[in-house]
Amino acid sequence: MSAPAHHAPAADDHGHDESKFQIYVQIAMLLAVITGVEIVGIYLPFAKWIIVTCLVVLSVVKFMYVIFYFMHLRWDKPFCTIMFFIGLVLASGTTWALLQLFMADASLPLPV
Amino acid sequence: MSSHAGTIDHHHDPSTSTGIPNKKLLMWTFLASDCMFFGALISTHLIYRLHPMPDAPSPKNIFSIELTSFSTFILLMSSLMMALAVTAIQKGNLKSMRWSILTTIFFGSIFLGCQVYEFQEFIEVKKMTITNSMLGTTFFTLTGTHGTHVAIGVLWLILMYVRSFQPPEAGRNTAWFIRHGVHIAVIIGAILLAIFSTLALVHTLHTGENLGAFFGGHFAMLAGLLACIAAGIFLARPNGPVNFGEANAIDVESMGLYWHFVDIVWIVIFTAVYLLEYL
Repeated sequence: MSAPAHHAPAADDHGHDESKFQIYVQIAMLLAVITGVEIVGIYLPFAKWIIVTCLVVLSVVKFMYVIFYFMHLRWDKPFCTIMFFIGLVLASGTTWALLQLFMADASLPLPV
Repeated sequence: MSSHAGTIDHHHDPSTSTGIPNKKLLMWTFLASDCMFFGALISTHLIYRLHPMPDAPSPKNIFSIELTSFSTFILLMSSLMMALAVTAIQKGNLKSMRWSILTTIFFGSIFLGCQVYEFQEFIEVKKMTITNSMLGTTFFTLTGTHGTHVAIGVLWLILMYVRSFQPPEAGRNTAWFIRHGVHIAVIIGAILLAIFSTLALVHTLHTGENLGAFFGGHFAMLAGLLACIAAGIFLARPNGPVNFGEANAIDVESMGLYWHFVDIVWIVIFTAVYLLEYL
């Protein structure tokens, strides 16, 4: 995930910055296209589980592109990635656990 | 900040035990905790959507996918401009950083304007408030908290933009504080007036009223907006050397991390709260 932080000469820095600019623009365009695909996807006549799976996968792809490129995790020390993923895993785990708990039959509201 | 032979390594700080600049580490730790905060809000919304109350309103009849898609696109573009602002200041390009931050503020303000319009529509037209249904309670709490994060981000961007004009030895310069206090007030004023003018214009177009009546009825607001923009341009003109450069890249980067986080939270909300309702 993270590349070692070497100090490069000025000419290389310039080339690196140019490529970073291009990477950012390309990723932004890709994210816009994925968003468009998501919006079109909800109107397609496929099974619900296929569309839900596709939407979740596309959201995860967008999420990962933003955190690893725009938020520089790809170039930062792995500790930043670990730190963030601790929070992310705890949040995802809590969401999953709550959804499982409330989907159990015993948690359904009693008829009035 | 670390410094080697006049250049700064923005991904490594040998002065800390982790090799990570303290401000960056602080921001990542905060964002990890904020993940759990939004995780709880999103879970609550999803739980009540999976077990809707009797007579619950249908979100499909309330939400506007066109408006939300537009907001999502705007927030993604703001993330691009924020990333470019960080790259610009890491190269010491102050002018480019200022333009990128201004564009990010512009996009962030559009997002906030869209959210104000959406909330207004839901409350006044669709009759969904934060108290009259569980959907309203969880929806407004979740998206309102996210909107508050965006508003804090816009305010932070404004402060950083104005900070980039700070002259050397500003600590003893009272005139600088007054000038930049006015600068901040002018930008916030311009954003608020632009949002409310646009909302009033949209309302006029919706109701089919005459545009002349709009300009007549909102003359003071539009004049105030123009005055704020003119004052903002006047205060942003070059005024000698500034105490802001490549060494401040970590401040801009920390702010950028916060802004991108707001974007990734919206990526999840857009799918979990809006898109899934249309299946």
